Amino acid sequence: MMTCKEVLESISLYLDEDLKQDIVLEMQHHIGKCSDCRAEFDTLTMTLKLYRHDESPQMPAGCHDRLIKVLQIEKMREKQGDADPDPTKA
Amino acid sequence: MAQELKAVPDESLVRRAQSDDDRAFGELIERYETKVYSLALKMLRNPEDAEDVLQDTFLRAYRGIKSFQGHSTFSTWIYRITANSALMKLRKKKLPTVSIDDADEREAPISIADWAPGPVEQLLNEETRQAMSEAIDALPAEFRQVFVLRDVEGLSNAEVAEILDLSVAAVKSRLHRARLKARNHLAHFFNDTRGRRTMGARS
Repeated sequence: MMTCKEVLESISLYLDEDLKQDIVLEMQHHIGKCSDCRAEFDTLTMTLKLYRHDESPQMPAGCHDRLIKVLQIEKMREKQGDADPDPTKA
Repeated sequence: MAQELKAVPDESLVRRAQSDDDRAFGELIERYETKVYSLALKMLRNPEDAEDVLQDTFLRAYRGIKSFQGHSTFSTWIYRITANSALMKLRKKKLPTVSIDDADEREAPISIADWAPGPVEQLLNEETRQAMSEAIDALPAEFRQVFVLRDVEGLSNAEVAEILDLSVAAVKSRLHRARLKARNHLAHFFNDTRGRRTMGARS
């Protein structure tokens, strides 16, 4: 029988379905009988659901245009650099 | 004209961008800017910092595209630049870093059972979102990277490992600790909220 500490250590792998079948069965058996570990399992499951359920943020207005501007400036700098590798010697 | 690029795979766009095709690089921006911004915002929790990281990421990508060898996908590469840029910003803010052995999450609260049942939609309001943000804020930088990539953005352990240049085992270990820390933060929040509501009902 797994201890509570062992269950807690493996709970993430359990949620990711990353455990061998015999360990999974042992964990299910333990969680079925131990209310503390069931609480660990339920709340961790809900935590992950909350984060996965939350939608992606939109970029603020103007953000794309400012990015393009930054890249255009970089391109201009690059071109000037090509044409005049050392402006101090002009 | 831009429409014709929509069907072109990333690898071909990368090759064209490497030959100074700005339209191809522009299409890569269109494809990934929202993802880059989203990852940066979730790591930094601040729109201005996220925009700085967005610009820094594509500036680095633009400068580095010619030396990009395609050993990983463009998507992994751009996520890696984003994660590193965001991490540097976090470090400037002097966020605490932790050793892998740091395990204060073992002091997990146990009286946490009754906020979990029920549909997720019932819990997901503005107050909860704020608490979720604060839970991420409270994570040390290295845990935060892994947690955001894996559990918020939904990438696989293998992808996160490749992006952060970690072993899959290290990802799993950090992820486990990050999840417990985030859960504990939310548990405190829900216990407090419920406490307030109970008190409100009594008065």
